[in-house]
Order: sequence, then structure tokens, then C-alpha cells
Amino acid sequence: MSELKILLAGEGGQGVQTIAEVLAEAFALEGKEVSYIPAFGVEQRGTPSVAYLIVSNKEIRYPKFELADYLIILQKRAIDTVKSYSHIGAKIIFDSSTISLGDLPKTETAVFGIPATQIAIEQFYAKAFNLIILGKLAKVFGLDQDKVWELLFGQLKSKFKTKEIEKQAERAFRFGYGFVFEVKKYSEPVFQPSKHDIVVKGFGKTAKIIPARCKGCGLCITKCPVAALKNSKELGVYATPVPEIDLERCINCGNCRLFCPDGAIEVNKDK
Amino acid sequence: MIEIMPKCWNKATKPDLFCPGCGHGIVLKHLGYAIDTMEIRDKVTLGIDIGCSLLAWNFFNFDTVQTHHGRTAPTMLGYKRAQPERIALAYMGDGGAYAIGLQSILHAAMRNEPITIIVVNNENYAMTGGQASPTTETGTITITTPLGKAKDSVGGLKGPELVRMMADKNAYVARTTMANPIVMQNMIKKAIKTQAETNNFAFLEILSICPTNWRTNAKESLHRVVEMEKHYPLGEFLKEDK
Repeated sequence: MSELKILLAGEGGQGVQTIAEVLAEAFALEGKEVSYIPAFGVEQRGTPSVAYLIVSNKEIRYPKFELADYLIILQKRAIDTVKSYSHIGAKIIFDSSTISLGDLPKTETAVFGIPATQIAIEQFYAKAFNLIILGKLAKVFGLDQDKVWELLFGQLKSKFKTKEIEKQAERAFRFGYGFVFEVKKYSEPVFQPSKHDIVVKGFGKTAKIIPARCKGCGLCITKCPVAALKNSKELGVYATPVPEIDLERCINCGNCRLFCPDGAIEVNKDK
Repeated sequence: MIEIMPKCWNKATKPDLFCPGCGHGIVLKHLGYAIDTMEIRDKVTLGIDIGCSLLAWNFFNFDTVQTHHGRTAPTMLGYKRAQPERIALAYMGDGGAYAIGLQSILHAAMRNEPITIIVVNNENYAMTGGQASPTTETGTITITTPLGKAKDSVGGLKGPELVRMMADKNAYVARTTMANPIVMQNMIKKAIKTQAETNNFAFLEILSICPTNWRTNAKESLHRVVEMEKHYPLGEFLKEDK
């Protein structure tokens, strides 16, 4: 093929631009013409982050495109931004542990799933998510895994604080490279934010936690003087753990309510 | 039913656009509570700057205006002159207030313009990725000062102290921290009252956290904001008699 158009869509903080940059460098080392441009909003976290990547044998005249050959979708909230780039010939690669098939743009084409979030949390560490994706993409685009890892290591060197994390990261990357896509039968999108408010009653107090607003910053857990709060299995709006409250310990000091930036938690005394 | 949010919050826009754990969310929430308890929601206009503070454009259910970078103070004081019965709040970050917008603030203070300026100081330019700002302390590592901010440079710019020298003796100049939300809320109320009741200039700096760009978790962020108090003393600054 003379020209390959790749669109990566995710959310700020997921590492979409890092993946795209490493891929672009890897293609460039193979002697291809590459163009990569990022597009993201003003926020640092939590809004769609899109990368346009063109790989060609000829000179590239314009870095944007209207229809993509590959759509890599890593976050549900980014789908609206990129769905117009999909067409009948496109191939879609998505994170099947956070996105359900029904949310994807409707095409009659090949859809490949990789439950990267689940693998990262269960086998490696949560941030290894993008390494698994990058490993798989390196395989899909026929890039040499050692070369890609070298480029990636150059990018992320400063972020690996210990040798342990570095080793795990490399394992995650190579695991992704060897992963076999899910086709037709996908993982359950288990990592979904909880939609319902959590109301807990007891010991003369009523606590209300709203997962739809919780961003998982952990301020309430840090500020609780009696350690009545801890992370639970419910997930908040950024698929981070929502606090759960032990009302027996709670002294109703109100610190969690004062410090929650998003108004997601409150404990009140029953009248 | 329990009501967690202030009444003047715009519920439709929550969760807001700030990063997880952002100090802006906490400051704005308590600004909301202050406005609720003072019952001035129909009279307030909020002016916001460029920078992370602009993400508050739809935070509240009252009039909000987006101004040019560093020009929040002059825009809001112009508004206040045209609409003297309204309450003009200028909300900005430390980059907009002390780098590009410092002259506007100093001149507003010199003329004792009746507006309330709230500066959220998190020691960096957060929206663009954590570059060193005028308030970054010496030795702090940011992406533009990889070896730590040079020791021979002036440390963090102390805004309230500077404004105090210019401002009228009736003006309200203070610094507080989001690590103590109740005190912060009372100081916000005082700063608004200075404008609304005595028609004087009010300037409030709030020390805040930036977990994303400080690369800290909740505990470390709160620890650092308390450490900041060593360089930035808290309290109300009064004019010394000559």
C-alpha cells in the first residue's frame, strides 16, 4: 500500500500522543515518509486527544485526512470526535475492557478488540495500558519490536523511577506484541463508571457518594482524620476507584465534603 | 435529600473540566458557598483569565466573562465603572496575575478601584504543562527549570505584599490557602464585602495545589501546599501608619 492513514483517539493523560510519536519515529527509521500531528483540547486531563498519523512511500503534502485506514479507539468519550473518520474499508482497534461494541462507529468492517485496561490492571500496573496497545500496534504494522522498545525507552526513560517498573513496562510491551486480537467475541466492558449514587445509612449518619462526579483524586481519603474512607471497587467518571465509607469509624467532621473539588461526597447526621 | 453542591453551581456541567484533585475545584466550590450565603448570586459577575482558570467558564449559574490573558482586572474594573451596582470578581491564576497582568493589578490597586481580585497561586503555568511561573520558588524543578529554579534569581513573587505597598489603606489585601477551606471561605466573603459595602479594592491570593504538574499524589500535594506557607506567609496585610 502506498499510503497508510492511522487515527489514534483517546483521552488526555492516556498516552495517545506518546504512542503516536513512537510509531512515527519507528516508521521513519524504516525509511518511510511520516507525518504526525496531535490535536487536543485546552485541558490537561479528561478531554479527547487525537493523533493523525500518515505513513507513505511518497512525499506527504497535507497532514490531515478525512477517512482513516486504521482507527485506534482507547476511550469511549473520544468516539464522538472521531466517528466521521470511519468508513467501510476501515479497521477499528479498540480497548474492549472499557468500550462495548455497540458504542463503536457503525461499519461493516473488521473490528479488533484488546482488553488493555484489564490486562494492565490485572497483570502489570494501571499505567502500562498504553504500552500494551503500542506493543500490539507495532505487531499490526509490522515493526521490529526491539527497535520500537528502544524508541519508547528513550521517550519514557525519566518516568521509570525504579528498575522494577522498567522491567514490568518491557514485559507489558512485549505481552502486547504477542497478544492475539479478539475478533467477534469480545471481553466484557467491565471498567465502566458507576451510574448510580451510593447512599449509605447507619450509626445515625447518612453518607452520599456520587461516582458520576468522582475523579479519584484521593483528597478525601488523605484528609479523613480517622481513616474511615478507602478505595472501593466502584469506578468514577475517569474509571478510577470511588471511595467507600465506614460509618462506624466516621466522626462526621465534614473534611471530605470540604476538600472534595467535585462535590462528590457528603456525610450528614440524621435528624 | 442531601445537597452537596452550592446552589449557584451549574449542575449540568459537572464533572467539571479540571484535572482530578485540582485546587481550582475546591476554591470555586467555596466561592460558590460564599456567594450562596451572602445571597448575591443575582449581582455577581465573574471575570476569568486565560490559563487553567478559564475552565471555570461554565462552572456557575451566573454571568461569567472570558477576558484576554492578564486583562481580567482592567476588563472587570471597566465593567464595574459602567455597572456600579454589580459586584465584579476577577478570578485568575498566578501566571496571568503576576507575569502578564501585573501592571493592570498594580494600577487598579493604586486607583483603589472597587473590584475583588482572586489569584490562585499554584506555582506554575499548569495549562501548558507546568512551566516555571513568577511564583515558582528557588530550587523547584519544573519542565523549564530541570536543574531547579536558579538560586540567584528572585524566589517566588509575593503578590499581596507588593499590592499592599500600592493600595489604599482601606483596601483589603490578604493571602490564604486552600488547605484550610473554612478560613478561605471567610476571607473570600471578606474580600467580596470590601467591594460591595465599602467600595474599596480587594486582593486575595490563595495558595493551591496542582497534582498533575507537580506530579504528586493527594498526600504529597497537601504537604507541599503547607510547605509553601514558609515562603508565602498567610494572613491579612494591613497598611502600616507612617
